[in-house]
Amino acid sequence: MSRVLVVDDELQILRALRTSLRGAGYDVETAETAEQALTAAAVRPPDAVILDLVLPDGRGTEVCRELRTWTSVPVIVLSVVGDESEKVAALDAGADDYVTKPFGVDELLARLRAALRRAEPSPEPVHEIGELRVDLESREVTFAGSPVQLTPHEFDLLRLLVRNQGKLLTHKAILQDVWGHAYADESHYLHVYVSQLRRKLEPEPARPRYILTEPGVGYRLVDPARRGS
Amino acid sequence: MRLGRTRWELAVGLLASAGAVALVTAAIEVLKLYVPVLSLGVLYVFAVLPVALLWGVVLGAVVSVASMLAFNWFFLPPQHTFHLRDTENWAVLAVYLVTAIVVSALAARARRRAELAERREREAAVLAEVAGDLLAGNRLPAELERVAGLAARVLGVPHARLALGDAEPDGDESVYALAAGARRVGTLLVSAEHAVEPEAAERFLPALASLLAVELDRTALEAEALEAEALRRSDAIKTAVLHSVSHDLRSPLTAIVAAASGLANPEVRLARADRDELVLTIRSEADRLDRVVGNLLDLSRLRSGVVLPHVELWPLDELVGRAIEELGPAADRVAVELDPDAPPVGVDALQIERVLVNLLDNALKFSPAGSPVRVQGEAHAGELRLHVLDLGPGVPAAEREAIFEAFRRGTGPPRSGAGLGLAIARGFAEANGARVWSEDGGASGHFVLALPIAERTPTVV
Repeated sequence: MSRVLVVDDELQILRALRTSLRGAGYDVETAETAEQALTAAAVRPPDAVILDLVLPDGRGTEVCRELRTWTSVPVIVLSVVGDESEKVAALDAGADDYVTKPFGVDELLARLRAALRRAEPSPEPVHEIGELRVDLESREVTFAGSPVQLTPHEFDLLRLLVRNQGKLLTHKAILQDVWGHAYADESHYLHVYVSQLRRKLEPEPARPRYILTEPGVGYRLVDPARRGS
Repeated sequence: MRLGRTRWELAVGLLASAGAVALVTAAIEVLKLYVPVLSLGVLYVFAVLPVALLWGVVLGAVVSVASMLAFNWFFLPPQHTFHLRDTENWAVLAVYLVTAIVVSALAARARRRAELAERREREAAVLAEVAGDLLAGNRLPAELERVAGLAARVLGVPHARLALGDAEPDGDESVYALAAGARRVGTLLVSAEHAVEPEAAERFLPALASLLAVELDRTALEAEALEAEALRRSDAIKTAVLHSVSHDLRSPLTAIVAAASGLANPEVRLARADRDELVLTIRSEADRLDRVVGNLLDLSRLRSGVVLPHVELWPLDELVGRAIEELGPAADRVAVELDPDAPPVGVDALQIERVLVNLLDNALKFSPAGSPVRVQGEAHAGELRLHVLDLGPGVPAAEREAIFEAFRRGTGPPRSGAGLGLAIARGFAEANGARVWSEDGGASGHFVLALPIAERTPTVV
């Protein structure tokens, strides 16, 4: 049974989440403050953390950064509309995904499952995502059996997305990984490369099913067949 | 009148000229005993110079000629005739005459220059004074009369009138437009019977116009800045309202959506007790939402001033009891210590209930979960004081008034509660002639509600 640490200072939200997540088969621990959250995570390391961005004794972003110093546990942050910059900061600080309040338990469970799945990355060099097949070792990419020619930067971008399949990657994280630190703020580069990549991979580049845009935040690669499951 | 003055000046000038020539002649009469007379002719320059300085080049030239003639008549042989025995003396007289006229022209010019410099200095001083006045923050409309007076002094007239923009002349006034570039900034009006010195007007009026233009621009900019600041503030308040309200609406909504979707999700298997808990969460959070919406409506009513209390006599414990009932399960933490024999208060029960609910809600929210909130009563000089005491951190002295403003919360971490509650409490309290404030509770929360004791106690029959 996976253990989930839920951190929120609103007792009613905490109670509703605890009951629902337990009902869905998770072992749930709760914390109301940043300090409690860090202590709880250290005492009994959870398999996933659900973290509110606004806590009485600090920002969720700080908790996230602190956790990342010693654990790669998946973190899903709870944000609100109008708090976009804080959400991006939390993702940059190492959070894996976010849901926007108010959210349904169905959505949270889907994100939680995806996050837990990612927690065990495949050591295999060959990744198959829907009709997309990427061999990271030989740098060969095929879509529906036919080979796809990618430029070195396009391949690096795809490799990062494939390795983090399902995870939301912020613009900054992608730019730093593929182009280097000097380009961390040049999101327009990224938009251009992503649209080139989509034209080569997606059956309908205007309605992407593999590389999804999270407006103002970043991109994620998903398996269209498993989406929403 | 001006002509009369000139004629008078001319008469004085002529008299002075005659005197000067006479004086120098007398001096030469004495000195010729010691010095050859021919070399003394140059002394007449001392007559020419002052006259040229004081009365100008024309009179200077007259004195030059007169003194030449006087020298010839009195000293050059044959004396007392205008004949000359030695023809070279004609050359001496001619050289003298030319020198004297040149000297008088130079003197007059120096004099004119000095006068001009003096006048410009006066104009500059006036402009500086006007600029100083305006920079000191004096408003232009209030300064118009003073500035007009200064302008009149510069222009050499006894009186002038200054108006901003265009102005109609009053009777026979001359109109001088004050324009900075293509822009008409003001009008100077001078009675037509006084002539303005044209040079002064040409120099001074454009400078005055620029000054007025700068001041008008400054005033306009200041007004714009004030308006922008007011807009910015009202924007900031609106942002605070939206932020605060959206948080207060979204928190209960999040709990409701999470609980309801948990109940509806087939993957989530719930025991009977868990189902009940989720249903209770939905119920109590819906009530909380309702309270937030109610508070918003209350606040808008208070803001628009439509709150009219319906005053009746009420025993305090009944008011407190009703408020506690409205708080729901959280009210278990409230301990009430009231004197049942306390006199009744004259207030609108529904409105005072809103005050009490908000005070208690605030105390419950800002104190540790499970800690008690105490309500105590005390009669005090015609008032019944209700103390609400909690074990929260209390309110710092500097914020004790500010927390009663709408959408203000104490410093420290954001918590639920839009900071509407205390503003509403104060609004309703004041509408009922009651007062509410925060007291120094040491390291704990202490709010006081002072209610007016009813003047007539009803007799129970």
